[in-house]
Amino acid sequence: MKELSKPNRWLTAVLLAPTTLWFLFMLILPLIVILIFSFGERAAVGGYGGGFTFEHYLNLPARLKAFQNTMTFAPIGTLLCLLVAYPLAYYLALKVDRRYKLVLLVLVIVPFWTSLLIRTYAWIYLLGGRGIPSLLELIGFEGVRLINTPGAVMIGIVYGYLPLMVFPIFVSLEKLDRSLLEASSDLGGSPFKTFMQITLPLSMPGIATGCMLVFILLMGEFLIPAFLGGGKIFFIGNALVDLFLQSRNWPFGSAISVTLVVIMLVTVSLYMRMTLRSNTGRDESLM
Amino acid sequence: MRIYAIAVYLFLYVPIGIIVLFSFNAGRHASELRGLSVQWYGKALSNPFVGDAFFTSLVVALSVAILSSLMGTAAALALQRLKGTMRVLFDGLIYVSVMIPGIVIGIATLVALVTVFDFLNPLLASIWPEGVKPPKLHMGYASVIAAHTLFTMSLVIILVRARIAGMDRALIEASMDLYATPWRTFYQVTLPQIYPAILAGFLLSFTFSFDDFIISFFVAGANTTLPIYIFASIRRGITPEVNAIGTMVLAVSLFLLMSAQFFLRARTYR
Repeated sequence: MKELSKPNRWLTAVLLAPTTLWFLFMLILPLIVILIFSFGERAAVGGYGGGFTFEHYLNLPARLKAFQNTMTFAPIGTLLCLLVAYPLAYYLALKVDRRYKLVLLVLVIVPFWTSLLIRTYAWIYLLGGRGIPSLLELIGFEGVRLINTPGAVMIGIVYGYLPLMVFPIFVSLEKLDRSLLEASSDLGGSPFKTFMQITLPLSMPGIATGCMLVFILLMGEFLIPAFLGGGKIFFIGNALVDLFLQSRNWPFGSAISVTLVVIMLVTVSLYMRMTLRSNTGRDESLM
Repeated sequence: MRIYAIAVYLFLYVPIGIIVLFSFNAGRHASELRGLSVQWYGKALSNPFVGDAFFTSLVVALSVAILSSLMGTAAALALQRLKGTMRVLFDGLIYVSVMIPGIVIGIATLVALVTVFDFLNPLLASIWPEGVKPPKLHMGYASVIAAHTLFTMSLVIILVRARIAGMDRALIEASMDLYATPWRTFYQVTLPQIYPAILAGFLLSFTFSFDDFIISFFVAGANTTLPIYIFASIRRGITPEVNAIGTMVLAVSLFLLMSAQFFLRARTYR
């Protein structure tokens, strides 16, 4: 690479300036402010009152239920998404005729880009008294309650985040070298063995990416428990909305946000380490 | 396998279909279908609150889309010249801003902006000339636009960069060899190749901003965007009118998404 000439450097700096400003003022500065707030006293009228205290971090157990719910629903929801998404991604990547592949894939992705708000509230209908429960009544199951149960929240989660899981798995399966599959079956490997020893390991990067994306977004989820959990099942996101917009306890809310971000960062770095290791593992096995 | 796929597609689309179906409900009760009519669309469109919310959402989404496609494209072009630590730093920031949940962005922006405003407002009041009402900074259009743009700008960078990576470098070198100025090379060689990605980024940014609820919920101040209006209405109880509004929002996003897909795939058909 040639050394950039001086005008070129100026041009690069100018082109990057707006983005840099945005990162500084809309990402880095706000995160620093939240960190400072989380160690501050609460002002009499709510908001931030200065000072330095660990009180809010020690007080985190007051919202233990929200953390517990989030930390159970997020991993289980991620796993359910994976279980529902994998067969579909497999089907789309390896079984569908090329002509329909793109259309079918777009059909999976499109819901993710439409309003999660509207898609989630559709389930208030489906799970409410006149929806699926009334159908169940017709075939003899009476008094089934679906809305405002953990099951309803789970359905909402799988429904909302399925597209995000299908896409990366599809991409990794699509890249898979098909001659490996043929070689395996030529050598007498059963379909199950071929899947376990070739398809599944080679789609691991896609699985890892999908799981991480879904898990991180679920950690910050607010709408799904708000609509389908009926106030009984609430996540950290619901606690945060309450603390910032209703009870206005900003320092405590900041402490919870910081904790949430830290949990996410730990997850992401664990993920990075895992995928890096699996990559080097594959390189070694190829040598 | 095939049956499973069909079941998943039904799972994805039946709820959307239900909303659309019930928006044409002739009856007054949201959960009882009594004949079909478009009366709720008329009701929704003549509701001044819906009109205001729609206008707010439109202004915000359009500004977000314009800002992010300009800034994102500029950054994507610059980043390919960048090496070393700076490159790693920017890559990190881009991925953080895409991955970070909306709720954290909403809260952080709210807290930071309110703090900055609380500091600036007395200052502005003190330097403002006597007798004239000093301006008061507050949450509103600008804060929503700025917060949405953080995410969408990074999205445009990722899309445009992918396109640049797939671009034929030989064309640029040829253009340079033929003594075209850098500006002319950009305008006649680079831009025609990356514009589908920019357009797709524009449309996706618009869609994201138009549909976003959680970030706006925190930073919109007294302004009501369409998703905030829908959220508040659902809290009061679902009506066929909400379904009609929801259907219209879905239709807008679907149209934009299809256009974005078209531009992203444009390369395939050349």
